[in-house]
Parts: sequence; C-alpha cells; structure tokens
Amino acid sequence: MMRGELARVRLAFAGLGIVPVFLAGWLGWLQVVQAGEIERGGRAPLRLVPETADRQAQRSEALPAPRGTIVDRSGALLALDCESYEVRANLLVPRDERASAARFRLWLLQFADRVATALANDDEFTDREAARKEHRERLERAVARAFAFAELPAEGALPDKHPVRADLLLANGVDSLAVIEALQRLVAQKGYKHVALDFLRSFQRRYPERELTHGLVGHVRTSWQETASGAKKLVTQGACGLETFRVLAAESSTSRGFLRDGVGRNYFLSPVLDMPQPNVLHTTIDLELQGIAIRELKAQATLAPQTGKGALPKWGAMVLVEIATGDVMAAAAWHRDEDNLENAAFTPYQTLYEPGSIVKPLVLAYAYEAGVLDWGHEFDCAPGSSEYRERIAGLGRRRPVRDDHDCSRLTPHGILVNSSNIGAAYAGLLLSREQWADYMDFYGLRSSLGLAMPSEGRAGTNPRSFAADVPLRSFRANSAISFSFGYEMQATAMHIARAYLRLFRGRSAELRLCRGVEVDGRYQGVPQAADTGPRFRPDVVDAVRAAMVDVVSNDPHATGVHMHARMLKELGIDLHGVIGGKTGTAVSSVGVKGGGSVEMRNASFVGFLPAEQPRWLAVCVLQRDSRGTFYGGSYAAPPVVRLLLQCQQLEQRRYWQQEASNGADGQVGSGLVTPGDSGWGRGAPGTTR
Amino acid sequence: MRWLLAGLLFALAVSLAIGTAALRASNTCQRHQVEQAYRQVGGRIVELRRLSVRRLEVASTEQLAVRHWRALRAEFDRSVEWRQ
Repeated sequence: MMRGELARVRLAFAGLGIVPVFLAGWLGWLQVVQAGEIERGGRAPLRLVPETADRQAQRSEALPAPRGTIVDRSGALLALDCESYEVRANLLVPRDERASAARFRLWLLQFADRVATALANDDEFTDREAARKEHRERLERAVARAFAFAELPAEGALPDKHPVRADLLLANGVDSLAVIEALQRLVAQKGYKHVALDFLRSFQRRYPERELTHGLVGHVRTSWQETASGAKKLVTQGACGLETFRVLAAESSTSRGFLRDGVGRNYFLSPVLDMPQPNVLHTTIDLELQGIAIRELKAQATLAPQTGKGALPKWGAMVLVEIATGDVMAAAAWHRDEDNLENAAFTPYQTLYEPGSIVKPLVLAYAYEAGVLDWGHEFDCAPGSSEYRERIAGLGRRRPVRDDHDCSRLTPHGILVNSSNIGAAYAGLLLSREQWADYMDFYGLRSSLGLAMPSEGRAGTNPRSFAADVPLRSFRANSAISFSFGYEMQATAMHIARAYLRLFRGRSAELRLCRGVEVDGRYQGVPQAADTGPRFRPDVVDAVRAAMVDVVSNDPHATGVHMHARMLKELGIDLHGVIGGKTGTAVSSVGVKGGGSVEMRNASFVGFLPAEQPRWLAVCVLQRDSRGTFYGGSYAAPPVVRLLLQCQQLEQRRYWQQEASNGADGQVGSGLVTPGDSGWGRGAPGTTR
Repeated sequence: MRWLLAGLLFALAVSLAIGTAALRASNTCQRHQVEQAYRQVGGRIVELRRLSVRRLEVASTEQLAVRHWRALRAEFDRSVEWRQ
C-alpha cells in the first residue's frame, strides 16, 4: 500500500473511530458529569435511567370493570353495561393558525363544527341536524373555555402565553362504529396532525325494557367520589331498585399497557389478560308477565274516566307471586300525577295504605287455627241484633260497625263471602291482645319485607294500638275490631301478598326477588328455606280457600259478583271455581301538608289461581282521593283476574312451545355466552384468561 | 490484508447495526398496525353490543305485537282499497 494511500485509510478509519468515542463521551457527560439527572423547572429532576426511557414510551389505558347484569327468570336482559368510549382530544393549534387571534379562533370553531358533524353521524338519531347543532354548541363552549376565548382580542396577534394546547372531552358514551370511524377519519386529515384522539373505554348502562322495569330494576347514579388516597374518581352506583344490590357493583378495574412514540402513535404491547367479567343477578321477574301487569294496571286505572264513572285514581300497585317459591314474578306501579317514572315511588313495596276487608280471610284463618273460632258456628250479623249489641256495642265503641249490605246469620264462610264487617269483628273479638300481636307477626304486618330494596315501606299498626297503658277493654273496642277488617294498620301491596303467601305456606315464607347470582361464571342460587315455619292446618287453609273461591261467584251477596258477571260477559269464562279471591274497600282520612285531611278510598283485591291448588297469587290496589263509589270488586279485581288468567295461558304456551326456561341448577341461557359479556375483555386468540 | 479484514468486519458491524435497526423499525411498524387493528376490533365490539341491545329492544314482545298489528292493518287497508 502506498504511503499516501495508507494515510487516507488511516484517516478514514480514525474518522469512523471518532463516532464511538463521541458516543462514549456523551454517555459519560450525561451519566457522570450531569450525575444522571436533568433539571426541570418547577418539577423534580428527571433521572436518566433506563426506567425513565421506558416510562416515557409506556402508556396504559384504564379498563373499568362493568357493573353486573340483571336478567329476568328466563334470562332476558333487564339491565347491562354496554361498552362505549369517552372520546378526549389533545389539541395543539398549529403554528400557522396562531398568526392572529381571529385565525386562531376560526380554526378551533371549525374543528368543533367538524367534530360535531362526526358525532352526529349516528343512524340512531332521527334528526341528525338537531343532534349536530347540539353537539356543536356544546363543543364551542368547551373550546372557548379551554382556549380562553374571553381573553382573546377580536383582531390582531395572539397574546403571549395564550394557551395553544388543551385536553378536551369531545363526547361521552360513544358506541357507534360510524361515529368512531368518522372521528378517526377527521383527525387523519392533513390539517389535524397535531390533534390526538384518545378513545377511553367506559360503559353505558342500558335497560332493554326500560318502561317495564323502572321501579323494580331501578337506575344508577354516577358521581365523583373521593378515594382513600384523596384522589377523586367517578363512581357509578345503584340509586334505587335492584340496582342497589352490592353484587352488581363493578369490581376493581384493570389496565392494558401499550407503547407510544413521541408523536403519539400507539404500539401494541399486550392484550387484556385479566378483565373482570360482570356478575349476573338472576331475578324472579318474568318480563312478559311484568309487561302484562303494567298494561292491565294502567288500563284499569285509566278506565274510570273513560266510562264516565269517576275520576282517575291517585296511584295503583299490582303484584304477582308464585306461591311455591315466593318469587315475585311481576310488580307494577301506576301514578296519576307522575310522568317521570324514574322519580316516582314504586308503589308495590313503597306505598302504604289501609288494606281494609282484604285481610278478613287472614283474621278468620288465624282465629280458626288458634281454636277460638268454630267454622260451623253461625253469627248474627244483623246490625241491630242482640248479639251485636252485646258483643260490639256493649264495648263502648264510638263508631258503630256497619256492613255494606245488611246480613243476617252467617258462618265464617258466609262472613268472607259477604265480607261482613260485623262478622269479622265477632271473629276478631275472639282473639286476645297477645294473639293479635302474634297475628301481626305471623303475617308480617308490622315488619319490613326483607327484600333489601331501598325505601321499603314498613307495615305496621297505629303506634298506640299495642301500647301497654291502653286498657284491654279499649283495645277490644277499638283496635281489635278495626284490625278485623283491615283498619288502624298500614301495609303495602307486597305485604298483603306476603301475608297470603304465609297463609298458604307458613309463618317463615318470604317473598324473593333474587333467584341467584353468577360470579366468575359460577351460578349460586339463593337457597330456598325448606322449612317455612309453623303453618296452618290443611283444613284451616282449605276452609278459607273455599270461602274465597265462593267470593268470586254469582251469589248475589258475594262481593265478587260484579267482577264474575263482567268476566263472564267479556271473556266468556265462568270464574267460579277457577279463581279465588277477596275484595277490599277502605275509606281513610289521610293528613295533608299544611293541615286538614283528605278522604282516600282504597280498592284492593287478592286473587289466586288455580282455585283448588293455588300456584299464583296476585294483589292489586288502587287509591283514589275523590268521592264516589270505589269498590275492590269492581276496580281492583279485573286486572288481577286478567293477569292470573294470562299467567296460566303463558305457562301453557311455554310448555307446548318449549320456550327457554331455567334449568335444574337455576341457570338460564340468554343468547350470549355470559350475559353482559361481549368479549371486549377477552384476550387475543391463543391467550389464556 | 489486515486492513481489508478490518474493513470487512467494520462493514459487517455496520450492516448488522443497520439490519437490526431495520428489523426493529419493521417490528415497530407491525406493532403499530396490530395496535390499530386491535383498536378497530374494540370499536367493532362496541358496535356489536350496541346493535345486539338494539335488536333486543326491537324484538320485544310489545314491539313485535305493534309491528304485527301494523302489518295486519296495512294488509286490511290494502284489501279495502282493492275491493273499492
């Protein structure tokens, strides 16, 4: 090699050798001379370690856990969390657009307009232009706030240090692919390369049959709450109804990691491996029967003005219960003055009323079981009879006991068929004060329903009824007689349903709304108590049941005679022997705010089907705050009868059609692998969960 | 010869460095595409759930009954028009 050539080669290699020397020197400068830290104004120094480099590239997205799903007894979805996105934009106004305040403002308003157009690109909107306008106005306000439009001059240059970058919430609950793609197309445009969109995962609560489930399923409320560390986070929790059950509360959320480069491009790191699945609450509700109950109650409540027979009731409630299990299959509420059902009280378990004569079978059954009432004995129920004077008037009661129609000599069976107040009072006076207290406890008429629902009405008597200082004679003259026909006490429609459930099944029988829960894919049924406590003798239940069957007959003195005739005419069905029941009518004075009182009329009816071996029982209550006839047999009975008949028809139809029903373990299929699980939280194929 | 070998080794080192960088860049590019596909799948899952719930709402007993009655009424109106 020539000498000059050798020199050039050495020079070239020396040049190349300088590169690693420079890199080594730079490393030494950063890691040794600067001691591995970079000063940052106002913030802690940035440590130059590998973790810092990793941290700057690593990102993670929070994956909130979904709230539990609520299904009916056939697996139909009542409430579920649907995946959706919260869309946020990290917005940096391009340098060219900062040339003047007007241009700055125009660029941002144009962006807001284009985002609004993208957000309105949802085929669920019936009026997209209106939706676009609404989004545009909201976004313009958000942009003006974030970029301090109030401090911008109308013309001229942008003030120094005016904010040019902001993080904006563009929309919540975005769940339409068309909208998502429209937003992605928008920021892919040339003019928006400084806009980074973040699609943050969240959930939207959906109620597929909202109109049918307002009161029972309830709703949720989302609010900011402080955590133990002092930070704030959005928490969604049940506000009323079944939504308040703790099993539905979202479990701890998780996160998914990914990488991001300096200009905001995301790199795949890993799928979600441990996304919690929603729990499933299996309720006892039958959605189809629920719909029927609501329709029947509404139809009956609104019938009176249509036929010119009085004003609208104030409220109504109807409950359907399966006797063998205590399952509440349907519960409907109706309000005259409340359009927003979300705000309205759910009358079946929240609204108390004086039940009236609907409790007479309960009283007579208890007295018969207690051995103080002879079912074959005849009482003289005529108002001026010597027996009345001796047993009722002689007690010194201020208000006489009257019947709707004059009765003569009646057995307990006849007392129930005629719904004689005088006869019921005779039976009630056979019970001691202690027995009356036990009667209330046996039927649960002074306790809560135990459904664990918020704001449950608590049934009870007048606080003075059982006061120790009330003389026995006074108790007998007032409370005992009033209790006999359902006065001086208050209960909800569900309390009455539970009381009748206990008549048929025993003292410990309870209503239930939850059949089981599914946690981590495993179904756990709510155990049914095999022993429902002390129960009445079969001959007691049969005697009362037979009397209630005769209430719904063509006997001219039976209180269900009008309903019997009406159903014969409307449906062509002779209900005698098909359905048993008891009417109830009560007139109570209810105090109102500001003094004074209003006379309330309660019409109620309890019915069961089949008459011989009851499987279902239903209770309906309607309350009216105006004068005029308002009888349980005429107003509350028809919807109960229709509901029970349709319940039976549905049962037969399902049997023949082999519709989806619950399996032996109580689990049901709902069309999805797991109700509420769309697969969002599943790992990529091949990964294990 | 010595210098030639040194040059070749240097070229090999540079090639390896460039190759490694290219592979990593390609890997990053692929991962970026996987991330995009992953997010698109997420968007479709959201859409799937929205549509499935919407279908449930449309196929409720009440809605089906309404549609059935609407169809019957339309058929009745058509038959009346045809007779006229």
